[in-house]
Amino acid sequence: MPHHRITLSALVAASAALVPAVAATGIALPAAAAEYPSKPVTLVIPYRAGGSTETMGRIFSKALGKELGAKVIVRTRPGAGGAVGALEVSKKAPDGYTLLFAASVSLLWHPLTRSVGFGLDSFTYIGQITDYQMALIARKDAPFNTLKELVAHAKGKRLNYADQGPMQRAFVDFIGAKEGVKWTGIPTKGGGEMVPFLLGGKVDFAWSGGIHQRFGDKMKVLLSFNSGRLAASPDVPSIQELYGVSMPSQAVIVGPKGMDAAVVAKVESAIKKAVSDKAFLDLLSKKLRFPAKFVGHEALTAQIQEVVAGMKRVIAATRK
Amino acid sequence: MIEQLIVGFGNALTVTNLLFIAAGITLGIVIGVIPGLGSVTALAVLIPITFYMSPLAAIAFLVGVNKGGTSGGAIPAILLNSPGTPEAAATALDGHPMAKRGEAQRALKFALFSSVTGDTISDVLLIVLVVPFAAIALEFGPLEYTAVLLFAFALLSGISGDSPIKGLIAIAFGVFLSTVGLDPVDGSQRMVFNEVELYDGFPLFSLAVGSLAMASVLGQIFELWRAKGEKRLSVEEYSRIETRLPAREFFGHWKTIGRSALIGSGVGMLPGLGVTLAAFLSYGAARRASKEPQSFGRGNPQGIIATEAANSAVVGANLVPTIALGIPGNIAAALLIGAFIIHGIVPGPFMLTQHGELIYALFASMLMANGVHLMIGRIGIPLWARIARTPRAIILPPVLVMCIVGVYLPTQSIFGVGVMLAFACLGLAFQRLGFPIVCMVIGFLLGGMLENSLRQSLRLHQSDLTAFLGSPIALVFLALTLFVLLRALRRA
Repeated sequence: MPHHRITLSALVAASAALVPAVAATGIALPAAAAEYPSKPVTLVIPYRAGGSTETMGRIFSKALGKELGAKVIVRTRPGAGGAVGALEVSKKAPDGYTLLFAASVSLLWHPLTRSVGFGLDSFTYIGQITDYQMALIARKDAPFNTLKELVAHAKGKRLNYADQGPMQRAFVDFIGAKEGVKWTGIPTKGGGEMVPFLLGGKVDFAWSGGIHQRFGDKMKVLLSFNSGRLAASPDVPSIQELYGVSMPSQAVIVGPKGMDAAVVAKVESAIKKAVSDKAFLDLLSKKLRFPAKFVGHEALTAQIQEVVAGMKRVIAATRK
Repeated sequence: MIEQLIVGFGNALTVTNLLFIAAGITLGIVIGVIPGLGSVTALAVLIPITFYMSPLAAIAFLVGVNKGGTSGGAIPAILLNSPGTPEAAATALDGHPMAKRGEAQRALKFALFSSVTGDTISDVLLIVLVVPFAAIALEFGPLEYTAVLLFAFALLSGISGDSPIKGLIAIAFGVFLSTVGLDPVDGSQRMVFNEVELYDGFPLFSLAVGSLAMASVLGQIFELWRAKGEKRLSVEEYSRIETRLPAREFFGHWKTIGRSALIGSGVGMLPGLGVTLAAFLSYGAARRASKEPQSFGRGNPQGIIATEAANSAVVGANLVPTIALGIPGNIAAALLIGAFIIHGIVPGPFMLTQHGELIYALFASMLMANGVHLMIGRIGIPLWARIARTPRAIILPPVLVMCIVGVYLPTQSIFGVGVMLAFACLGLAFQRLGFPIVCMVIGFLLGGMLENSLRQSLRLHQSDLTAFLGSPIALVFLALTLFVLLRALRRA
């Protein structure tokens, strides 16, 4: 019976994990990699159940499980903008049985600004599945249509904008510093609070994590904060084009650092196939309105390094 | 509008739909009974199941879950004095004394009938107001929210216990607790001691279940232990206790019902204020309006009516900003928005024009759900009442376990369980010292909002406090705050 086989190999894998000395010598690892996955894989999602990333992760876990040939169990572990779940995964054995699905910002912003128990090098980046659509937006009737016009409009005034956290404020203020204008970030709790602030005229412009796509005829996009242009606004330049930095916009699957290359390759190819899974694509493009975008281990690791270099410049320029 | 509603009923009145509504309500009640698991958790857990339903069935099901979950929390509050969610805390104040007198069935009926009535009134308001509402909601900015929250604190200081000073101290302590965590503006650490789990502050449900439910259960266990067993009513005494609640008697409280439903709907329409605030404001209002305010907290059914009618009224009214603006009124509404999106409906200003048929079918489902809710709730009451007759030595230990499970499950955090245990001890200490622990919980709940809106106001107006003078709405609420505080102090 297949049940017995699974239990037996699970025992083998468990005993390998219990004897880290053996694993460290590298004798046990190739065998484990060849058998991977021989037991269910846990996918930690560090956000509250019911949100868009969590929903995406849940649907994706089914497609991923199909491609990996193992059950993928989703575990939500919310807190501190994803840092609680990330910290937990960073401490697990790098055997491929504990993975994390998160927005890359959750893995980068905290370690760049304070001590959280994990660092920039605590994770193996395996694959990206989509891009968050982060933008600088304004009301449709605002007296400016591009970032350039906004900057000209802001000279000599004190404009307010809605941000959704210190990182977003750092990036918007970075633009202000480059252009020699001053504006004040008003902290709002997520897109749900930002929308009435913007539409109610309390602020002049705002940072948006993607919610503006639902308000097509009431808001306009001035700038993409992603490294590339946004799928829905191909005419609007990105912050990378104008200022050479970008926000971490990737939704990624990572494991603890030090994963075996063969296991990484297996998970990577499963992610690549799962990204084109029909049910997943359907939810992603039609309902959540995110573009599917696969980036593999090597390209993603390089991309993240570039983003981190930019973030360091932004932090240095805006630190008071 | 009437025509659209009739078409809506035509679409919604199917057997499958009714079954899904009934299933949603039943699951909601059952989950709501477990301390720590309210409608929010119920929704989060059940949303994935709806991926496989038609959009209307899915949303009707989730609306049922939301309604059931909100009223289910009243059951442990009445029977065991252990409110499962902060929003049911005020129900325990009068519900449990009634249950202790042996009137558990009547208390449960009061709770259920008030829930359903409050909910229905609020659903009707939703259907009528959803279109003209959008303009008013945008008027409420951070200045207005700051003033409303201060006003709420002033009102809440008087709701429980005899001393408004002790109430204010407890509220202030709660506000203090809410400042633990990362600073909302610049993200610096406040009393976090490098503990990542504390970055978001104390987890609300751990704090609420620990200090409200668990502290109460532990207190009862100590009592049993000291008294060496409990005094139980004899069978004869039981047979003499009134269990019936005629509709005439219930609707005799129409003033309280109407007032509470309006308070609940009003709070529900303003995004972010939440169910708990509505429940306590309404309880306070009923107490102030009563000719004998000292009877509150000793088993006055009006206390149950006020709380349950108001907290259920939030459920319907919350969908006003959700549908009119796409802005969720609370976490439960945010989850509903998530579910809407998954089923291809984008909430917001265009929802009524693009999906009008579905929305009116949803409204019809909500009205139908109220009827179903009444039936299912009514069937459950004799079953729940049995718990009231079971010796407490048998009931209480499993409730402790349920508190722990309920707090652990949604976030799978042992840290959260630890916080709950610590607050259980704190809750016991508050009880002994005569400080109202519910005031602390509310201070904690609203403290974060107060800080958020106050600091938003300050940043928006370059720290110029005279900005309040420019907002008539804020000025009215600030004046009312002063009035309420001065009156309370003069009486004390």
